Amino acid sequence: MLTACSKPKGGQALSAPAKDTTLVVAMLGDADYLNPVIGSSVTSANISGLIYPSLLQSEFDTATGLLNYLALEKSLRPVKAQEGARSPKGALARTWSMSPDHKSITYILRSDARWEDGKPVVAGDFKFAYRMYGNPAIASPRQQYLAELVGADRGAVDFDRAIETPNDTTLVFRFYKPVPEHLALFHTSLTPLPEHVWKGVKPQEFRESKLNLQPVGSGPYRLASWSKQQEVTLSSNPSCVLPKPGNIRKLMFRVVPDYTVRLTQLQTGAVDVVENVKPEDFGSVSKANPGVELKTVGLRVFDYVGWSNIDHDWYHKSGKLRPHPLFGSPAVRVALTHAIDREAIIDGYLGSYGTLCNTDISPSLKWAYDDTIRPHAFDPALAARMLEQEGWLPGPDGIRQKNGRRFSFKLYTNAGNDRRNYACVVIQQNLREIGIECKIEMQESNVFFENLQSRNLDAWMAGWSIGLEIDPLDVWGSDLDKSRFNFTGYRNPRIEQLSELAKSKMRIEDARPYWVEYQQILHRDQPVTFLYWIRETHGFNRRIQGAVLNISGTFYNIDDWTLKPSANAAP
Amino acid sequence: MASYILKRLLIAVPLVFGVLTLTFFIIRLAPGDPAAFFIQPGISPDVADQIRQQYGLNDPLPVQYLKWLGNVMHGDFGRSFSRAQQPVFDVIAEALPVTMTIAVLTLIANFLFGIAIGVVSAVRQNSFLDRFLTVTALFFYSMPEFWFALMMIILFALKLPLFPVSGLNEVGAEGYGPFGFLLDRIWHLALPVTVLSINGAAGIARYVRGSMLEVIRQDYIRTARAKGLSERVVILKHALRNAMLPVVTLMGSSLPFIFSGALFIEVIFAFPGMGRVTVEAIFARDYPLIIANTFVSGSLIVLGNLLADVLYAVVDPRIKL
Repeated sequence: MLTACSKPKGGQALSAPAKDTTLVVAMLGDADYLNPVIGSSVTSANISGLIYPSLLQSEFDTATGLLNYLALEKSLRPVKAQEGARSPKGALARTWSMSPDHKSITYILRSDARWEDGKPVVAGDFKFAYRMYGNPAIASPRQQYLAELVGADRGAVDFDRAIETPNDTTLVFRFYKPVPEHLALFHTSLTPLPEHVWKGVKPQEFRESKLNLQPVGSGPYRLASWSKQQEVTLSSNPSCVLPKPGNIRKLMFRVVPDYTVRLTQLQTGAVDVVENVKPEDFGSVSKANPGVELKTVGLRVFDYVGWSNIDHDWYHKSGKLRPHPLFGSPAVRVALTHAIDREAIIDGYLGSYGTLCNTDISPSLKWAYDDTIRPHAFDPALAARMLEQEGWLPGPDGIRQKNGRRFSFKLYTNAGNDRRNYACVVIQQNLREIGIECKIEMQESNVFFENLQSRNLDAWMAGWSIGLEIDPLDVWGSDLDKSRFNFTGYRNPRIEQLSELAKSKMRIEDARPYWVEYQQILHRDQPVTFLYWIRETHGFNRRIQGAVLNISGTFYNIDDWTLKPSANAAP
Repeated sequence: MASYILKRLLIAVPLVFGVLTLTFFIIRLAPGDPAAFFIQPGISPDVADQIRQQYGLNDPLPVQYLKWLGNVMHGDFGRSFSRAQQPVFDVIAEALPVTMTIAVLTLIANFLFGIAIGVVSAVRQNSFLDRFLTVTALFFYSMPEFWFALMMIILFALKLPLFPVSGLNEVGAEGYGPFGFLLDRIWHLALPVTVLSINGAAGIARYVRGSMLEVIRQDYIRTARAKGLSERVVILKHALRNAMLPVVTLMGSSLPFIFSGALFIEVIFAFPGMGRVTVEAIFARDYPLIIANTFVSGSLIVLGNLLADVLYAVVDPRIKL
């Protein structure tokens, strides 16, 4: 019996023609909701992006790092001929116009797009969907997109005034303040829902609704089947005009929780795409199967060592601020950065897949990135001198002291991350060499995150994944109650001013000088020690053709991908 | 015996209920927040609070407990937080068949091989065969399952591509027809069941060998031999039946395993079974699902113990319940 069914080789049980029309993507966990209003994981967003129509087609320009928005007959910036260029035919909007006062935007929609059930996609579907996005009982993770709509400044969006639909192909959004065009386009292009399908569902039952299991979309793919925790299968939608039915007939997203197994399946050809291959496996992957190639996206993820700038205990007790006894002074923090051999961590773990990080503005966002900043070099002697100037002198046990306080602290990080583990050990050694005692403590992720949130940690290693829009106030804002992610307690009014100035510019390119100054301040003050950017790397079977990756996503142009027929298929 | 069983079942109700109450408070005391995922830059700070409101986590703890108690009395264990608000028993109902298939196959293999190896090494005590089987059994018994599973995958799926790496079925298996589909499923289960049963059988073999050695020294075995019975009948009928007594206890305590799943195997072979449901629920702080899982496994442990005691009485007439 086993020989009977093991005749297909190495997991390639599909007969060649069937395999040639099916692409298999390995994913770590299942999608949560295939509903754009409540889907919260990246997987869900990737999949529902293929099922649902979008108002605009967005395109990432790797030369500048700017997002471009395309409608059928208009684009925000001139369209450049670049690899993987998106077709404007994917957009539902024919064109748009921004009012001169930047307080409203009007879209003209095309009339030929239809939902899967044959009903036309109309402006009312957008207004309906925005009501769902904004309904507190639904708790959409995307309600931030509605923050500029009329009424949002007074607590609740006034949908009747904020979104108007004079007819089926005209859609008007109104804002309570002037909004730059690129931000208006970003925030008004949330995915619509078919009103005729969803209108009977009560907001309280929105998340439980069975309709979530049968999404009605109009994109290049539609849901064929969904076995929870196993696989989501999409099939090309023949009636799609946005821009066209997907090239590959079937897309299969399979849940494979174990990393080693995902990698093995990539090597046997059982899956075609595996995201986030670790640097230590690059060599073996391409050696084991020359049919696999590794592709890297831009720099979007970085790790850092957080130093508590303020005395958290004192702040919790008294509500007042005073500098942290160890890390309160910028000079000490700069010294710590000089003491840490960041290059050694990169060379030892990431290799060419990592690059030094100076601030939280990614080198991939070239329009804003300041490439004149000179990284704080690894220089233990300089670090020691700086610490001595700050009064930290070597103590009898070799550990520096100041006013009887030893320079000794615990460095926390989340358990189970090999990269951070490696970096922590290097840092511990580096600091030991200049007379600083650093103890490493790993915590379960939930516990670690809660401790960070409640500002209980003095020093920690963590990371951020940046958004495509620069918005640093959550992390660096001075109001510690409002800036929930300002774990360090760093406060600098100029940072806030710069962010506000940058955001008030109606042309995003005009904000560059502010972001340059912002980077220089962060570099000078080192509220944290920025370590390295990570080039996220994904494994692809070479039979996939036309895949272009950039920091806006792995499956950026998946509806344009094609599969090369397998060589052994008889003609 | 019926009144004994009834009495035990009646005691089980407050016991399971106490376990659930304890779990209810312990998981809420543990650090972590079911809405933590929604606390990230770019997501409005209101979202986490709205989510907590939806889950009823903004009420004071005693109120939450009373509400929960009321619902549980009506048999409503609530909806999962982390799995798209599916009713928790739907989540469990989806995972159970997968887990049970693997577990039942594994248990059968476990006991068949375990008993066979145990009997052989007891009968041929201290022979080369016994030593060989004992050492091999210990070798596999002490091997971590996850590592063994990965090695099997590398050997039999990557180097010698005989078996699939993971999953329950091949891509496109729906098109094979019912018989082909079943074959494909068995082909996918071969590696994981082998890993699990080699590990389990080794343990059982040790038990069987020990208890068999004790039994074959008994007088009645000598009597059976003296009667002129064939060695086969002596061993398999007279000795084995008595040697099975401790093994029966093992069977009873294996019951929860059938439902609780084997986490490592499920993660490595990508099976959507109970082990993964439980662990993922704990990491996501999915309170209703954790409680429902505790309910299922708690009840089964109680039932399993009861079953073991009853089976004891069945196989050993000396024991009166």
